[in-house]
Amino acid sequence: MLVLQLLVSGIETGALYALTAAGFALIFGATRIFHFAHGATYALAGYAFVFASRLGLTWPLGGLLALLVAVGFGLFLEAAVYRPIQRHHGAFFTIFVAAFGVVIVVQSLIELSFGRAFVAISTPLTRAHEILPGLYIARVFWLAIVVASLVFVSLGAFLARTRAGIGLRALSENPDLLRAFGLSARRLSALAFALGSALAVPGAVLGAATTGLSPAVGAHVMLISLAASVVGGIGSLRGAALAGLLLGIVETLVVAFLDTQWSEAAGFVVLFVFILFRPSGLFGAAVAR
Amino acid sequence: MTRISRRTLLAASALPLAGSFLAPRSARAEEAYILGTLFPMAGPNAEYGTIFTAGAAMAIKHASADKMLSRPLVLRAEDSEGTPQGGAVGMNKLVNVDHALYVLVGFTGVSKAAAPIGARAKVILVNGGGVGPDLAGLSPYYWNVIPLVPDEIKVLTPFLIARQLRRVALIYVNDPFGNGLYKALKTDLTAAGGEIVAADAISPADQQFSAIAARIRTLSPDAVYFASYGAQQAQIIKQLRDAGIGQQLLTYSGAAIPSVRNLPEAEGLILTAQAADWTVDDPITQRFVTDWRAQYGSDPTPYHQNYYNAVRLFALLAQQLEKAGKPVDGDALRAALLATRRFALVGGEGVFDDLGDISMKIVVNTLKSGKLVAIG
Repeated sequence: MLVLQLLVSGIETGALYALTAAGFALIFGATRIFHFAHGATYALAGYAFVFASRLGLTWPLGGLLALLVAVGFGLFLEAAVYRPIQRHHGAFFTIFVAAFGVVIVVQSLIELSFGRAFVAISTPLTRAHEILPGLYIARVFWLAIVVASLVFVSLGAFLARTRAGIGLRALSENPDLLRAFGLSARRLSALAFALGSALAVPGAVLGAATTGLSPAVGAHVMLISLAASVVGGIGSLRGAALAGLLLGIVETLVVAFLDTQWSEAAGFVVLFVFILFRPSGLFGAAVAR
Repeated sequence: MTRISRRTLLAASALPLAGSFLAPRSARAEEAYILGTLFPMAGPNAEYGTIFTAGAAMAIKHASADKMLSRPLVLRAEDSEGTPQGGAVGMNKLVNVDHALYVLVGFTGVSKAAAPIGARAKVILVNGGGVGPDLAGLSPYYWNVIPLVPDEIKVLTPFLIARQLRRVALIYVNDPFGNGLYKALKTDLTAAGGEIVAADAISPADQQFSAIAARIRTLSPDAVYFASYGAQQAQIIKQLRDAGIGQQLLTYSGAAIPSVRNLPEAEGLILTAQAADWTVDDPITQRFVTDWRAQYGSDPTPYHQNYYNAVRLFALLAQQLEKAGKPVDGDALRAALLATRRFALVGGEGVFDDLGDISMKIVVNTLKSGKLVAIG
């Protein structure tokens, strides 16, 4: 029963990882911008939700506020930080340093506004109940599964069936060709940031209720997103989603067999295995050298 | 004709500018007693840095108002990040750049990294936050104004046995503090007839504890003891409770911070801490408590008390040395401490042993509506 219990916990954690990692992968896949501040988006969305909760707003309204903050932040970064750097032929490393600076600024602003302490939303949704002997499941588990499924189905349909979605997929391949089809690379890049940032919101909202938040939470989120993107295949949305789920399950399930200290390390062992034996990741295209 | 290079020109033009910054700084250093702080100021343990600094700042304010010393007291802060590496880097800067002669420190790992640097430079380090067992007698220039965790465990163990909480599951952070606590708890609990049924080591950066909770639940312990820091403590409590762990939760004095005290899931938590009786009627305690309440609108915590005491201890020792016409340095401060031993501090008289460690009464508390209530 312990293994089943850990599997349940792993799926819940993995679903949230998958959503956040997919956001990072979507942005990187479409724009080739290493959006290191994706973790900061997660933190801002989470704290916006906490703020709304303290104001007494309902979950849907709090979620909406978090969504507005995350999307607004993503669009702001795209327009005010990344685009000017790219306009001046800024290198990949320059963008990374700029994003890193943004992370520090956001963390400091959160500390100034909310203090440095841990914050969490107390809700009955996170209280686990015994549904089978020895198996405890909280309602937030089902919520995470439903939300992740809905988001991925909707996103898949958007990317496959709409003109903008197809344009997003084409953006990283040939921005010039997009113009021939009447699409704007600039607008598509903004759309990628809006969508990618929005994908961080469910994880941030549910994270505020389950694990809680601290101003430095973005760093961990970014690490997981990065690992999931590599394991899933750089730029692959479904790869990042599946890898996020896989990492969540592995780091939880490993506790059944090894010391708890191996929990986080196990996820990165998976990462190393992929780097060594399948560097293109689960769904990445192999490159001949 | 001698050619003057562009670099020489730049250096020459920068000299007056550099001088204008450096001269006042070194002049200030001569005029003032530089006290360093080596606290975590960013990251998951930053909450401690804020708390520690507030206690020290109030002591400086009081010492200045009382004109205890002929020179002003100046605080110079370095961010230890709560890590040994950050501690070593910060201590080097405080000693070699800021020329601090008395450094306030917290956290076991940070203390262990900074102590050798302090001993080499004969700079006094005073700990008011770290409680790892190894901190006793770390160096002749390292003192503790906080009782260490073995003292807390000694008080907690008979309490647990009396309440039939014999089988304890432990979650501890894998660092010098956590490992020391594990050893002390295992020794004392086993000797008293109890047992550690599980000991899960975690990294200071871990955020997911649902897997540990699942494993602990299968063992059905009488109580769960966790030993961690800062934000992580609140995450552990919340996730254990959410996972259906209804057993008594236990911990040490590190949980006496707002993020734990204000957590609804922490209600009923049992934690050991030094006795903090703010009703004591000595003038030093009353002044501290009254001013604290006036400034912050709440009661101080033992950490505030400790760092207030750490700065007050410096002021008392330096005052004594000034009156005797002696230099105020590491050796003289140490000699004065060992010669005097008893000091009027917040909470009553503080008595120091040969190692420079204070002795204080420890009590078992429970959290009730965010407040510590002594129960044993």
